[in-house]
Amino acid sequence: MKRISIIIALSIILIAVSPLLAAKKKQITITGSTTVLPIAQAAAEAFMDKNDVNISVRGGGSGVGVAALINKTATIANSSRPMKAKEITQAKSAGVNPVSYAIANDGITIVVHKNNSVKDLSIKQIRDIYTGKVTNWNQVGGPNLPIVIISRDVASGTFEVFNEKVLSGAKVIDSAMMLASNNAVATTVGDTPGAIGYIGLGYVTDKTRIVSVEGVTPSEKTIKSGEYKISRKLYMFTNGKATGDAARFLNFIFSAEGQKIVEEQGFISVK
Amino acid sequence: MALKINAKWLLAIILITPVLISGLPTKVSGEMWGRWTNESAKYKDANNEYVFKTSKNYFSLERGYFGLETTFSENTKARFTVDMFSTDATHQYPTDLAVPIDTLKNASIDGAGLKLKYAYVDFARLFPVPELNLTVGLQKVYFGTIYDWNYSLIGKAPTDEYKVANSADYGITLNGYIPGGYGEYAVGAYNGEGYKKVASSLSDNTSFAYLANLRLTPVPGVTVGGSYMTNSVRRDKKLSGDAPESKYEEQALLDAVLRLNYSIVDLWGEYISKDMKFPNATGKDYTATGFMIMPIVSLKPYLNKDFQLLFRYDVWDETDNPSSTSFYKLNATTIGANYNFLHDASNVPAMQLQLNYTMKKYNEDDSAPAYADGVKDSNQLMLQLKWRFSSTISN
Repeated sequence: MKRISIIIALSIILIAVSPLLAAKKKQITITGSTTVLPIAQAAAEAFMDKNDVNISVRGGGSGVGVAALINKTATIANSSRPMKAKEITQAKSAGVNPVSYAIANDGITIVVHKNNSVKDLSIKQIRDIYTGKVTNWNQVGGPNLPIVIISRDVASGTFEVFNEKVLSGAKVIDSAMMLASNNAVATTVGDTPGAIGYIGLGYVTDKTRIVSVEGVTPSEKTIKSGEYKISRKLYMFTNGKATGDAARFLNFIFSAEGQKIVEEQGFISVK
Repeated sequence: MALKINAKWLLAIILITPVLISGLPTKVSGEMWGRWTNESAKYKDANNEYVFKTSKNYFSLERGYFGLETTFSENTKARFTVDMFSTDATHQYPTDLAVPIDTLKNASIDGAGLKLKYAYVDFARLFPVPELNLTVGLQKVYFGTIYDWNYSLIGKAPTDEYKVANSADYGITLNGYIPGGYGEYAVGAYNGEGYKKVASSLSDNTSFAYLANLRLTPVPGVTVGGSYMTNSVRRDKKLSGDAPESKYEEQALLDAVLRLNYSIVDLWGEYISKDMKFPNATGKDYTATGFMIMPIVSLKPYLNKDFQLLFRYDVWDETDNPSSTSFYKLNATTIGANYNFLHDASNVPAMQLQLNYTMKKYNEDDSAPAYADGVKDSNQLMLQLKWRFSSTISN
């Protein structure tokens, strides 16, 4: 009986410590913004080709990425907006020191269906459209066509930047479609003649057309200079200054090869 | 009867609200705490000696929360939370009551109760200060650790446990975060009687409780904070005749918080002071003090599973209180273990299995009057399965 007890006890101990004994491949976990997702995915693939490290990349939104960093389950949090004071406070209380790396520039691009003749909108006109004051394209110089409003869900970093820079906190009209990703917005706008949406520059497709804002078209020059009003930086956050494989991965993104990947994904490099 | 009517209204609101708010992004969340409690406490035996006897052994749905958070605009959000409970403040009355049970205050034999816990609106950007909210309604009380106590251990926050402050109350607050992530703050005015008191159960009191709270995070891993609240119970003079009310009391409540978080260790410390004054009575003033220390150790890096080991030590000293009904010094020690599983994308666990063992010991010298008030040394074992869900509905 005593021997059986010892065997059972040893088995339990062995099961408990087995994860410690297993040989671990180096692992980087990246979570967060769907805007930053394509950059992170492409960069991770290129980096893993040359390094013996496993990088897992997931979306979920900027808020989810920051929460994962605070909960210490993500090595890198992707975010399409700066961290809020509330998030930094929560992170510091939890012993996490968020350090930001601006890895790309982006312009939140206003898009309409490719057959829509409207070429330029002011910030006020965009706000009036999203708050329901303007309901037909003919009120802003376009065809006699009801406007179909497409927005990102309120949890996304893209929405938060759009809310701050365009809406100034005003409420999006209830009839707006609130979609969960840049891809979904681009697809819906491309398939809907009266639609308007906003997406990361890298998500513009042939079925959509870019509308300039206050006479400025989003481009590398206008976004980097800040001339394009709805521009932003895209971030990766780490707990403390990145070290080890995470530091090497970030250095790769900042390298010429990494910034080329940023541009290939349709965003603007930071170099 | 009153409780039953309230419960029916609340259930109706729960069912109807999602229909009324259709079209607005709404977060629906819920939480249930199923618990087994086994307690032994000191009672007299046949020889008039105090010995430990099993005093409690039962299963219960200790708590249940159902909440709706509606985003009316990016600057206006509202929250509504119902608190369901099966043991706290429900009573089994004997069948041979001399009066009908419906005529008794607080009477309930339903086996469950229902209260409003939160019902408030957050207004952002009303002032040109970043991340500052005006919150109106039944809301958190930003005092000590009570407002962000996440029940890593099964027990309540110290200020809640020792009836220093309420976890929620009706009021108005300004609350926000310091730019740069250097901390948070709140100032506010409340009823001062907590969310459980409404209508006729409110004390005869027209003064508000006033609160100020500040938490600082100067460097990662270090949080220091303090709260101060003034409150009063009953009115200074009787409404009719202006005679002094002898039971009128003035409270000055102070709390200091220290949190150190490094690597796998999350250490909480809290000091509480409750200064009570009775301006219309002599010899009743007193100050009760206490502290808590609670380290939480995460074993996740070693086991690859979200296991936590917990320890908590509390001292609550009411020996300065001349009232014989609360003349005691409590030492409480808790050891616990948590297994958190089914995490979501943000690493919040949907399930939490908690095991706690708590030993409460009262000062020997003061045991007699305390025991007379039903306060007894006890050992309590609790096993609890907590589950929660959260989902955002948008059109």
